[in-house]
Amino acid sequence: MKPQESNAIAGPIPESPATAPSAGELQLVSFHVGGEEFGLDILRVQEIIRPQPLTRVPNSPEFVDGVMNLRGKIIPVVALRRRFGLDPVAADKQTRIVVVESKGTVLGFIVDAVSEVLRIPGNTIEPPPRLAKVEREYVSGVGKLADRLLILLDLDRLVADSDALVAPPALGTGASA
Amino acid sequence: VSQDFSQDAALIRDFLVESEELLEGMDQDMVALESAPGDADLLNRVFRALHTIKGTSGFLGFDPIVRLSHAAEDVLTALRKADLSLSRSIMDSLLAARDQLGTILGDVRAGGLRSYDLDPLLSDLQEALKPQTVPPLGEMLVKEKVISSADLGALLSEQAASREPRKLGQLIVDKGLSTPAAVGEVLAQQKKLTESPNAAQTLRVDARKLDELVNLIGELVLERNRLVQISRDCATGKLSSTDLDSFLAQSTARLSYITDELQNSGLKTRMLPIESVFRRFPRLVRDVARTLQKEVQLIVRGEDTELDKTMVELIGDPLVHIVRNSLDHGIEMPDVRERAGKARQGTIRLEARQEGDQIVISVADDGAGIDADRVGRKALERGLVTAERLRLLKTREILDFIFLPGFSTAEKTSDLSGRGVGMDVVRSNLKKLNGSVELDTRPGHGTTVRLHLPLTLAILPVLLVRVAEEIYALPLRSVVETAQVTPQHVHRVEGHEVLCLRDETLPLIRLGEMFSITDRIADDSALSSGTAPAQKVVILGIAERRVALLVDQLLGQESTVVKPLGHSLQRCAGLAGATISGDGRVRLVLDPAGLLASTQSQSNVHRKATA
Repeated sequence: MKPQESNAIAGPIPESPATAPSAGELQLVSFHVGGEEFGLDILRVQEIIRPQPLTRVPNSPEFVDGVMNLRGKIIPVVALRRRFGLDPVAADKQTRIVVVESKGTVLGFIVDAVSEVLRIPGNTIEPPPRLAKVEREYVSGVGKLADRLLILLDLDRLVADSDALVAPPALGTGASA
Repeated sequence: VSQDFSQDAALIRDFLVESEELLEGMDQDMVALESAPGDADLLNRVFRALHTIKGTSGFLGFDPIVRLSHAAEDVLTALRKADLSLSRSIMDSLLAARDQLGTILGDVRAGGLRSYDLDPLLSDLQEALKPQTVPPLGEMLVKEKVISSADLGALLSEQAASREPRKLGQLIVDKGLSTPAAVGEVLAQQKKLTESPNAAQTLRVDARKLDELVNLIGELVLERNRLVQISRDCATGKLSSTDLDSFLAQSTARLSYITDELQNSGLKTRMLPIESVFRRFPRLVRDVARTLQKEVQLIVRGEDTELDKTMVELIGDPLVHIVRNSLDHGIEMPDVRERAGKARQGTIRLEARQEGDQIVISVADDGAGIDADRVGRKALERGLVTAERLRLLKTREILDFIFLPGFSTAEKTSDLSGRGVGMDVVRSNLKKLNGSVELDTRPGHGTTVRLHLPLTLAILPVLLVRVAEEIYALPLRSVVETAQVTPQHVHRVEGHEVLCLRDETLPLIRLGEMFSITDRIADDSALSSGTAPAQKVVILGIAERRVALLVDQLLGQESTVVKPLGHSLQRCAGLAGATISGDGRVRLVLDPAGLLASTQSQSNVHRKATA
């Protein structure tokens, strides 16, 4: 599933200069939440969009910020800050919604900013170090970059933990602009 | 005439084994078919069996088998298409043909075909295919013993002599020879004979409906092209802003016309007669009644009522539940009925009709009815209600306990006769279909269960309301009325708020508070301090129950398409789904039944708190 191009990606994501993907190499979308940098397998990311007006759902799990309209389909949106136990911040120019797909469930994550698409060799990924307990549950590893660390998220566990936010399966993401 | 069997003995052996098995199955199925002539499954099974036998026989050159099974197949095809209805004589010929096939197969096994005189059988089968004539009403009335043949003669001559002849049925009723109901029944029978019921396994759509759809799509494409042109001209600066305004106005007007039409014709293609659901009931009633040793007749009405395909598929099971309940708990044993001064044979009426934008399906029996006191006592035993509250409840509210899940499971293990079994399932299924269920009972006279269904699942007319900053949609079907109220209308009873409107007392829900949008203090002070001297309420009704919803503003009506919220969010109390508004935002659609239920659990919570 390629990220939507026409209306979805808000501004180009700079791709780090690298060679063609080879075996053992991971392609990741990296984004920031609360000062940390996270990475998600690019194949799990459907698209990245600018913040949308959300509709609050009464009596829903706390970290569900609401639901939004994704080309006629209604998907739940999770504020990752709240999910990670961080203080919420107001949306700004950098704020994005990362639309992901996990086991037929489509949902959006609100992140502080999306930085780039990275290719990192699989052997630079290390098991998660001791983190705060909440985070460790859905961290699948830590990627070492030249100058910084990247926390790799285990999407399936993150979604499953989010009280099984089951949305109807994607009806094809190829809706044209 | 002997046959050379050296060709392939193994093949023939296999054929014999298979065919004899098939014939045996046919035997059972055909007998079952006689008592359930409408059962499409049985009919198809018999047809397939015969078809298989015919096919292999043709390959092996057993000509008599082919001729006979072909003729029988023709009859079955006509039955399957419902061009023909199964009569005793048709079944006799089919059974005779089956027996003859058995004889021939026996001969094959014994060594070879003999010569057979198949002509009488074949002509019987052909005879069956001739179109049946529909008997005139008079004849049918006499046959059904509604009137005597002497009366009929007199009536007919009177009718012939009259200058302004009245209809026969009218005459009979006017003369007091019979009741309108009895005559109507025979008329319906007659109508059934003239009409061939359509099968609903596949969706057959009138070609004209499709043409209409395609035409509309064509128009839609044209309109799209026009919009593209407008946008292009606009980009190149060819259009003045006044031109743009008028072009856009024209275009959107046409677009909304086309989409409305598209919506209508699209929905029309999905409508099916409910007949396909009703068809299974004669058999079901007969079988269950026999098992229970009760005498029951089933009257089916309104089979041609059309409803959405999805609904046709989903309404079957709830209906089976209800009819079974009627058979099991409603209709009494023949002796009991006789002692109560009723006919030994009980009656269940299954009826469908359209009422406005709803379809109403009712199952009515003339059985024992439901004893509300007994239901109340059971509810008390189960701790579903307190004694003091029970005294305050109306009969209808007491009967409502039947629909609670706990009630029905308890009922299953109890030997107390009562209804309850699976009624909670019925209600939850109906909820899925955006419908509702209501129950009416008169002890000693019977029970009626009515299912209310929307005409279609796809389009839902809603009333939009505002609460603080949020806008919610309420299914218009459940909106009984809207009203302005002042704080004087609001009272507290047993710790929860009620609204006294005219002579009615309704449970009150503050939507803002229930959904934690506003807090009570703000609400209260607004209501009591006079800063909001009047507030809007929407009265919602599900069957006979009512609840008042306090909102900030009524925004008007709209037709919407309801989309699911997703599994876990669906569980949020009081929500039925969501729709997308004109500006692309998601709007929540509230579930009146869920809101009503929440007022009940509120009182339960309250009861526990005070106990």
